[in-house]
Amino acid sequence: MSTSFQSNFFYNLAEDIRHFLRNPGLVAVTSVVSILIILFIGFPIGSVLVRSFTVTFPTVTVQCQHNLSTNADAEKRITQPILAAFKPIKGIEETRTTTDPEHLVIILRFRKDWDDLRGLHDTKRAIEKFKRRLDPFVGKIKYQLGQETIKSFATYKDFFSKSYYYKALRNSIVLAVVTTTLVVFIAFCFAFLGLKGPGFIKGPLRVLGLIPLIAPPFIFALALILIGGRGGIFTKLFHLPYNIYGWPGVITAQVITFLPLGYLMIENVLRSLGTNLEDAASDMRARDVDVLFKITIPLAMPGILKAALLVFLMSIADFGNPMLIGGNVSFLATDAYLLWISENNIEMAAVFCVFLILPSMIMFIIHEYVLKGKMYTTIGGKPQQSERRKITPKIFYPMIGIATPVSLMIVLCFGMIFLGAFTKILMIDNTFTLEHFQSTNGFRSLITSVKFAFSAALIAPIIGVTISYILVRKRIPFKRVLEFVSLLGFAVPGTVMGVGYIIAFNSPPLKLTGTFIIMIINEAFRNLSVSLEAGSSKLHQIDIAIEEAAVDMGASAFRTFTRIVLPLISSALVAGFLYTFMVGMIAVSAVIFLITPGNNLASLYILAVAEEGFLGMACAISIMLIVVVVLCLGTLKLISKYTKTEVF
Amino acid sequence: MAKGNYSAILELKNITKRFGNLVAINDISFSLEQGKLVTFVGPSGCGKTTLLRAISGFVEPDEGEIILEGEDITKTPPNARDTAMVFQNYALFPHLTLAQNIGFGLRIMKKPKKEIDEAVEGLLSLVQMDGLGERKPHELSGGQQQRVALARALSLRPKILLLDEPLSNLDANLRISMREEVRKLQRRLDLSIIFVTHDQEEAMSISDLLVVMDNGIVKQIGSPTEVYEHPIDDFVANFIGYINFFPGKVIDISGDQMNFKISQGNLKVALPPFKVSVGDRLRAVIRPESIDIADAETKLSDDENVIEGRIDVAMYIGSIIRYTITTGDQIVYLDETDPQYRGIFQEGKKVRLILKKRIHMLPE
Repeated sequence: MSTSFQSNFFYNLAEDIRHFLRNPGLVAVTSVVSILIILFIGFPIGSVLVRSFTVTFPTVTVQCQHNLSTNADAEKRITQPILAAFKPIKGIEETRTTTDPEHLVIILRFRKDWDDLRGLHDTKRAIEKFKRRLDPFVGKIKYQLGQETIKSFATYKDFFSKSYYYKALRNSIVLAVVTTTLVVFIAFCFAFLGLKGPGFIKGPLRVLGLIPLIAPPFIFALALILIGGRGGIFTKLFHLPYNIYGWPGVITAQVITFLPLGYLMIENVLRSLGTNLEDAASDMRARDVDVLFKITIPLAMPGILKAALLVFLMSIADFGNPMLIGGNVSFLATDAYLLWISENNIEMAAVFCVFLILPSMIMFIIHEYVLKGKMYTTIGGKPQQSERRKITPKIFYPMIGIATPVSLMIVLCFGMIFLGAFTKILMIDNTFTLEHFQSTNGFRSLITSVKFAFSAALIAPIIGVTISYILVRKRIPFKRVLEFVSLLGFAVPGTVMGVGYIIAFNSPPLKLTGTFIIMIINEAFRNLSVSLEAGSSKLHQIDIAIEEAAVDMGASAFRTFTRIVLPLISSALVAGFLYTFMVGMIAVSAVIFLITPGNNLASLYILAVAEEGFLGMACAISIMLIVVVVLCLGTLKLISKYTKTEVF
Repeated sequence: MAKGNYSAILELKNITKRFGNLVAINDISFSLEQGKLVTFVGPSGCGKTTLLRAISGFVEPDEGEIILEGEDITKTPPNARDTAMVFQNYALFPHLTLAQNIGFGLRIMKKPKKEIDEAVEGLLSLVQMDGLGERKPHELSGGQQQRVALARALSLRPKILLLDEPLSNLDANLRISMREEVRKLQRRLDLSIIFVTHDQEEAMSISDLLVVMDNGIVKQIGSPTEVYEHPIDDFVANFIGYINFFPGKVIDISGDQMNFKISQGNLKVALPPFKVSVGDRLRAVIRPESIDIADAETKLSDDENVIEGRIDVAMYIGSIIRYTITTGDQIVYLDETDPQYRGIFQEGKKVRLILKKRIHMLPE
């Protein structure tokens, strides 16, 4: 069994390679995109993994010139006192000596977190103290600061032994579980009422379920600070002794942020189930509550789980909300950033990243191997002209009881952003003003954002759609690997791609950190898979016979691609462009690692001014961002409507 | 009202249903007798499924009453009606086993487990699916799914069984054997069934009574023979099988016979059931199989209704041969059964057509 599988595998591989090599154009294009994908997605993620298993120590190297001939005994006579002299120095972990005919070299390795300058100072002092005893043997002494990297599990050991590290993991998981559970419950209510509820609430629920989609990902945190922060409206109005920072804030903000995602997916599942089976159940005497719990929910379960997986991943990867409103609670995605920016502890940041990747991988495996093919959506039959029957109050009231407060909260949040943007300082000076819209830095960051998002949006669709064409239409070896790595950039949390880029592109020949280009590359490759998906969806709609007809008419592969395929999939390119542009405008988590002074993005600028307490300005720039995003979404919707391309 | 005296188990009184501007069902009345199989037949969009869904409770009529065994159920929700439906795509619950599917209604009714198990076993064997109770619906063929859907619908011993195009997803051979099975089951269990189909042949073959519908109204209600032999109008005549029309004029009436002049000659036909007088313009309606074909030279008695024609197309279908024949200024279809008996007339050949005596008349 296994041998036949193996021989089959190798036979197929050989066939793939043979086909592949027959087509030089394909080889060239595939090689280029593969190299790019591996370089800008695989390599950074790999670097994170490697770095998490290394430890870097500060070292002080002492080089002494000695005037003795090589003589083991004599050598011992000088080495021993020096080593003895170093003994009292604090923080030394390891001492090593090497000798050559003229020099004695001693490398002092200090503890990982030791200040290397202090180490140097202590070393010098120790040598001074014993100078007289050493003098007969030793001439000039040179000191050098350095680093030493070794492979080790020490950072992992550290992670699990210190509560402020492993608590971040625990908190992130708890947050994801709570957020996911709430989102799934609320989204189900929204979707169910939106599909089957009385007419007058359908429209509002649809709008409210989707509207958070247009907001930059941390805008609800911002709004919640205005509502329940230390100087928030509610805190002040009711003289509340507590505020919303920490768990309640992050959970509320995330629930609203990820509601559209859950809503879209669950609504889709419920819609595709149709009413046929529910009708059959009520025909079998089932009461509406029975229908809901015995038919609708079990049938929708695979889709609900899928939505839950995605929300779980988004919650773990979320950066903006925990950053703004997390208070003292630590989370993986944000603490990885803080570890790097304030402690320069890139190894621990890398370990954090590994724990950010792990859940995505587990979820990916569950999704691919457990949930795949478990959807009950292939139930055929023509849709019946059926009347919506009234939902029984037993279902309606609990559901509307959940949906109403959430809806009010969403409306309130948007309202607060507008209030905040147009008043001087909300709750302190409530006079109307436009001054928040006139910040020079804000405008500059907005322009940088547009440049950034536009450039990324030019790159991503071209590479993404090219890959989709290769994957869908061509026979190449290791197809699954190319597909996997391409999707990885999207699947892995932004923080990982940020840390990965810092580690991977910080040394020659690829020293790109600190440039504007690297930010664009990062954004483009992170969002590649959306263009890829749009491309495949379009290609699957186009009958391959059309291309074969072109070839049959004598067109070359290149001509077929440019004259036939490209015009047909241009809508996928445009959709990919708009999507990448849109998410580029609100990008936070990966680029925050890569920005440099002068290249600040609007979304990061909002984050920064909000952290400093300039909430009005944060609101104003948020509104400008929302306007840009709404324009993009509108165009995107028009395109997908007229070209029938599936864009999310 | 005493239930026992009621011969009609179901009565529809002036049912009307609109969807927006569209009148899906327009003032339909009809009654079903206990133990009969009635078929609603008509082209798609004629309102037959809507009518069925009104009976099952999924559609609430705008006007009219639905009375089941003397009880007005017009506003009763589907889960409280004594009707059971077999859906077009069977609507088996994909997450439940066959046994769970069939026992669903009984579990909802909170019957004891033992009773449910026995009932499920009985129903499985009724539809010849013994021992397959643990399978899931997706492991079954279309015909098997169909039978499970039937068993599930029977599980609650409904007063009326509603079948919504139940055979349309099956292939041709299976369709025929399934409809025989349904008919046998109906006779054996004395079921009252309403069957919906757009397939006229299926409707003819299975029913006690046909309800021919078009555009939301009932065109004709009658036994298959009545509807076939005496269609009430063009629509019914055309919908149920091929048909030939011969427009003409009544030229004289004698006793129960009349002389009817058509462009190809004179026909002697029986008087129609409606009142006619000399000079009336009518149409003779003749099924293709009611016409005989003969060589142009064949001697025929004067008593026969004979017209001349020329064969355009001879289409061999196996069990029959269908001729398309030009006669005068019109095309006539003619089916001859068992073509091997006499051989096939060549295309282009002149022939005589013998119109058999029982000619159905329609007003113009």
